[in-house]
Amino acid sequence: MINQKKSTPISPDLSISIGGLGLKNPVLLASGTCGYGMELDDLLDLDQIGGIIIKGLSIRPRPGNSPPRLVETPCGLLNSIGLENMGIEAFLRDKLPLLRNIKTPLIVNILGNSVEEYFEMARRLDGAEGIKAIEVNISCPNVKAGGIAFGTDPETAASVTHAVKKATGLPIIIKLTPNVTDITEIARKVASAGADAISLINTLLGMAIDIKFRRPALANVFGGLSGPAIKPVALRMVWQVVRAVDIPVIGIGGISTPDDALEFLMAGARAVEIGTATLIRPSTAEEVLTGIRDYMKTNNVQNVKNLRLPA
Amino acid sequence: MPGFDIPANIVEQTRLAHSIFLLTVDAPAIMDSTDPGQFCMLEVQENNSKDPLLRRPLSIYKTGSNGQISFLYKAVGKGTRLLSKRRPGEIIRVLGPLGQGFRLIHDCTSILVGGGLGIASLLLLAQGIKQSGRLIILIGAKNAAEIPTVEDFSRLTRYFHVVTEDGSLGQRGMITDLLDQTLQEITGTARIYTCGPWSMMKAVYHMVSKRNIPCQVSLEAAMACGIGLCLGCAIPKSNSRGFLHVCQEGPVFDADQVHWGQNS
Repeated sequence: MINQKKSTPISPDLSISIGGLGLKNPVLLASGTCGYGMELDDLLDLDQIGGIIIKGLSIRPRPGNSPPRLVETPCGLLNSIGLENMGIEAFLRDKLPLLRNIKTPLIVNILGNSVEEYFEMARRLDGAEGIKAIEVNISCPNVKAGGIAFGTDPETAASVTHAVKKATGLPIIIKLTPNVTDITEIARKVASAGADAISLINTLLGMAIDIKFRRPALANVFGGLSGPAIKPVALRMVWQVVRAVDIPVIGIGGISTPDDALEFLMAGARAVEIGTATLIRPSTAEEVLTGIRDYMKTNNVQNVKNLRLPA
Repeated sequence: MPGFDIPANIVEQTRLAHSIFLLTVDAPAIMDSTDPGQFCMLEVQENNSKDPLLRRPLSIYKTGSNGQISFLYKAVGKGTRLLSKRRPGEIIRVLGPLGQGFRLIHDCTSILVGGGLGIASLLLLAQGIKQSGRLIILIGAKNAAEIPTVEDFSRLTRYFHVVTEDGSLGQRGMITDLLDQTLQEITGTARIYTCGPWSMMKAVYHMVSKRNIPCQVSLEAAMACGIGLCLGCAIPKSNSRGFLHVCQEGPVFDADQVHWGQNS
């Protein structure tokens, strides 16, 4: 009889914490690609994933941009939806009650035209039962400052962060735009303004031209590029920001496979968001989660935090 | 009700004309719950390739009692050309049935107006109406090759007419003239169901709205998810600043909900 020492199969710990909010695993659904949540019910086990980030809400309903709103580009998707949404009141009244049945933390993404609007949005979400954190989209134009995006100016980004922190005790995740010269400068500013976490990247500004009709392919001319095409850019920025701030970083940008997610976790992201991939394959987040778990088992990684590479 | 996302076995991929194909897949779950006018999102690329990135929306053309569903489509762009190269025995992911289909109203004359490959979303409807009401089918196309499956329609009703711009099938003429003539001949209440090029549907709508005949249209739009996640497939509403979303609120709309644009 051979006395084989059986190695106990490890049961990897995927749980993480972001600004005091505990999540059962690091795979979240990105804002703008999972609707108001329930659209994905039955196509994805919403109870299994780490978190759901509801599409960006504004203080009043927004009709969005004129079509065409979408253009497919090589390995990518350009969109100019124009942040169409039902507004925060309708969401709280019509959508939130049903979402409370899901056993996964709900995070609401908010957007505003002024610092005051961000404050007001965060204040209204503060007492809402079932909402566990707020992700703040600072890629929108600051109407009072001539339309420059909040997220491209370090001081403005910091003042939005201050405002939402003052308005609520909920964990605040600031979602950064990549359309800046030095992403670490913005990251440091929002971290010192009190952000609990940073998520990045939002879409890269791009465009396409329809050569048959000789006009921009999007009615809005410019749009945000997402999908696998942007992954290397996102990964580089996540790597930089992880090393520039002490708060948790959530990686977003072109993640559609477990390998993609593992790259971000190795870059030091505490968690990842699945975006465009969900539009193409609704069950992507579950498959990414399974793949991360399998990798950890195979490679004997006990805790998901240990995936992070040194330096 | 977002449908089923299933790996489906390809049973048939037949080239019917120059760039027009009939694709049949095994998809019993989808077949069982399909209503006329609904669509599916089909994975076109092989081996998880990311280019092209998106699935393609296709109307469900036919359903079989054996759990099969068929799509009639034209290989026009990169995605549909790749789809046309997929072969029987291969597996493709199909998400469906999606969207709001036609709302069938019996007890009146139903006039189906199909332009070109717009007929792809009208066959199940025609079969449904045939059960219980008077059915008139009008089909128009540039030429015969554009509509290789007209027999599927002509066998459903005596009141079947086809026109082509070059006269290669049926009479030479325009579908709108054919509709105009039909409207003058019919008695009693009627309803219009149409699918085809935007300009044709717009002309049909203007023609019938003057006579207060209700009209349902099946629309297309650039689409990413097909299930209301991205809100990319917006088209302007007729009576407000807002938008309709083709994937979730459509693809079939009452024609008067839609903003058809200037000059009719």
